Amino acid sequence: MNSYLSNPAFWSRFQFGFTLTYHYLFPQLTMGLAWFIVYWKWRALKTGDEQYNKAVRFWAKIFGLNFAVGVVTGIPMEFQFGTNWASFTRYAGGVIGQTLAMEGMFAFFLESAFVGALIWGEKRLGPRYHFLAALGVALGSWISGFFILVTNAFMQHPVGYRVEAHGLLGIASPSAYLLNPWALVQFSHNQMAALVTGSFVVTAIGAFYTLRGLHRNQAQLYLRSGILVGLVASVFVALPTGDQQAKMVGRHQPVTLAAMEGKFEGGSMAGVAMIGQPNVAARRLDNPIEFPGALSFLAYGHFGSYVHGLDEYPTNVWPDNIELLYYSFHLMITLGTIFIALMAFANFQNWRGRLTSSVWLLWVLMLAFPFPYIANILGWMTAELGRQPWLIYGVFQTRDGYSKVVSNGDAIFTLIGFVGLYFVLGLLFLFLVGREIGHGPEEEVVTEEVAPRLPEVIVRQREEHFV
Amino acid sequence: MIATWYAIVSFMLIAYVALDGRNFGAGMLHWVVARTPEERRQVIAAIGPLWSWHEVWLVGFGGTLLAVFPRLLASAFAGYYLALFLILWCLILRGVSIEVGGHINDRQWQGFWDFVFVVSNFLLAILFGAAAGNVMRGVPLDADGTFSMAFFTDFKPRGNVGLLDWYTVSMAVFTTVILSAHGATYLTLKTEGPVHDRSAKWAKFLWVAAVPLFGAVSIESWQVHPDLFRQAMHNPFCWLGWLILVGSIFGIASGMSAQRELRAFVGSNVLLAGLLITGASALFPVTLYSTLAPENSLTAYDVAASHSALVFASIWWPVGLALAITYFVFVARRYAGKVSIKRDTQGFY
Repeated sequence: MNSYLSNPAFWSRFQFGFTLTYHYLFPQLTMGLAWFIVYWKWRALKTGDEQYNKAVRFWAKIFGLNFAVGVVTGIPMEFQFGTNWASFTRYAGGVIGQTLAMEGMFAFFLESAFVGALIWGEKRLGPRYHFLAALGVALGSWISGFFILVTNAFMQHPVGYRVEAHGLLGIASPSAYLLNPWALVQFSHNQMAALVTGSFVVTAIGAFYTLRGLHRNQAQLYLRSGILVGLVASVFVALPTGDQQAKMVGRHQPVTLAAMEGKFEGGSMAGVAMIGQPNVAARRLDNPIEFPGALSFLAYGHFGSYVHGLDEYPTNVWPDNIELLYYSFHLMITLGTIFIALMAFANFQNWRGRLTSSVWLLWVLMLAFPFPYIANILGWMTAELGRQPWLIYGVFQTRDGYSKVVSNGDAIFTLIGFVGLYFVLGLLFLFLVGREIGHGPEEEVVTEEVAPRLPEVIVRQREEHFV
Repeated sequence: MIATWYAIVSFMLIAYVALDGRNFGAGMLHWVVARTPEERRQVIAAIGPLWSWHEVWLVGFGGTLLAVFPRLLASAFAGYYLALFLILWCLILRGVSIEVGGHINDRQWQGFWDFVFVVSNFLLAILFGAAAGNVMRGVPLDADGTFSMAFFTDFKPRGNVGLLDWYTVSMAVFTTVILSAHGATYLTLKTEGPVHDRSAKWAKFLWVAAVPLFGAVSIESWQVHPDLFRQAMHNPFCWLGWLILVGSIFGIASGMSAQRELRAFVGSNVLLAGLLITGASALFPVTLYSTLAPENSLTAYDVAASHSALVFASIWWPVGLALAITYFVFVARRYAGKVSIKRDTQGFY
């Protein structure tokens, strides 16, 4: 463990991992929620039903808070390529910089131009332009996700590049780089997962209001939209996108697949472990309970297919934290399965007309919303831990990528700074979102009134004094 | 190709400074031009709906720099490590203070976020000013083209320099003053009532104060970096920058005296562009000077990405810019005119 702590790449990795994990709590909701808002605004335009406008106004406020925290925590991500990963930037900037810059030019300009209009511009814009603003924000958030996933896909499965003068990476084929098959699969998987987060949050608020007997019509709307989208998105996360993603890993990163499944020995009829802990020192999976042949079938299409084991590879290309990788992957799968079951049951109950009367189901739906966040983060941990020890898979190692001039102490110092600042930011966010939920969607918007000049108690005291 | 990309990246930086500069300026003057809670909400509403659009120019600038001059970004960002994180933290606090200040209708809550808003904008103006000073002066680049720098060493702008010395500090002061003036000019355009009148007064005072400061930093720059002036004499773009500068001063002066607020504000943007064009073209082709040895300096040709990367970026960049301008024109037209608390707040801002 000591070697970890004195390893400068470790602290830069930790800081990137921490700031990215925190950052991604916010965009995953905005990417999921954006389409709910677009849909409701569209219904409001079509039907003129004020219910939908109320829903848009309420969720736009939640969206706005998420968006703001997403923006301010996102800027450090781009900067860290230069501050902490200077050697990597110098080497690969000509390739990965393209999509990071394109994200700014194509997505952020669109999103940030319209987000203010969506949240505060209803009166200035009128209903049609307000709908356009919602659409612009939703498209912008998904385009942004696409460019980030192209960047990540290049690091997972580099294509379309070549090594040019001074040993720097250049673009050999822009279309191969932008349409990396890994990126297309990962993007679909990730966006579906974001929709799961969005629909679980919408459902949870609907369940909360129903349980309290508040805002009945709005709560119904949230519940019904939430569970329907939730079911569809949960299924799509698993099939076909998650399945395709696993096959992609099996094809291009077989050692990662072996580590994800804790397979130390290769073989045909390879099983999927339901339970079991990888024991890296002894090179085995402790107390495994397996579905025989399932891994062979899922990864390569036949129960008899051969699955490579970790033993077939030198340890220096093994992912450097096999236990964490294994647990992240398995817990993600477990949660994903539970999401499908829960949402299927909720839709069934809704079809029977018993959704709003089933108190315990409403409780479960209300308390379920943190778990998609956890599953999303676990999925990203699987992707990024599985990529180790490479920064660009098979091309450039993580230990060569960090900034040589940044000392361990500097990196730890800024990491602690982020932990403190983000803790306060998190409290602030929860407090404000909690307040908005407390006010609810029915609240009339107050425009004229601003902060009173003096607290009322003092005014009253003064008046009494004069009397 | 590389010279064109140098111009494009400079353009993005200029756009960021002109656009976000108004928010820094308005933020620094927040307390003095707006006294009551209503007036303070007015200032926030004036910059509110588009601040994140402005900040995106910084992201666009950073991303483009990463794509076309990766070695510059790597050297500079790693070298300025701690200063850069200070900027990031201030940007976070600034953004949060704009967004959450109006959420609760309470004097203490808004007062606290106003405080955060003012302080973070001040720090940002100072840090960006010092950064500009560092670029003009140079940094202690070694033979590998990397450096790591203390906050300050002996306060002298030669040899083993720190982030702050007498030259970069005076650049920071100058930047603070002109960005405040820029913000005051913007608030004059966007607000009405007492905030408008106070902003107009501050704009006059600050622009007048900027003149001697500009003389002082020019002389200092000549002292610190005499070569720069010699190069500038032979560079037609520097002369263009000067011309723009002189034109913009007339624009500001005539706009303010004739109370043509839009003309003054356009002049103010053009002035910032003129200053940066002059600076960027005087530096070219160097992007980062070495104060240790001239041969360690990094030129645009040293730091550029591979040829194919530059070609690819030349295809998508103009498309991205055209789209960005389209959105901006659409949204800016909807927000044209003075802000009105009744129409523009919807309970927030």
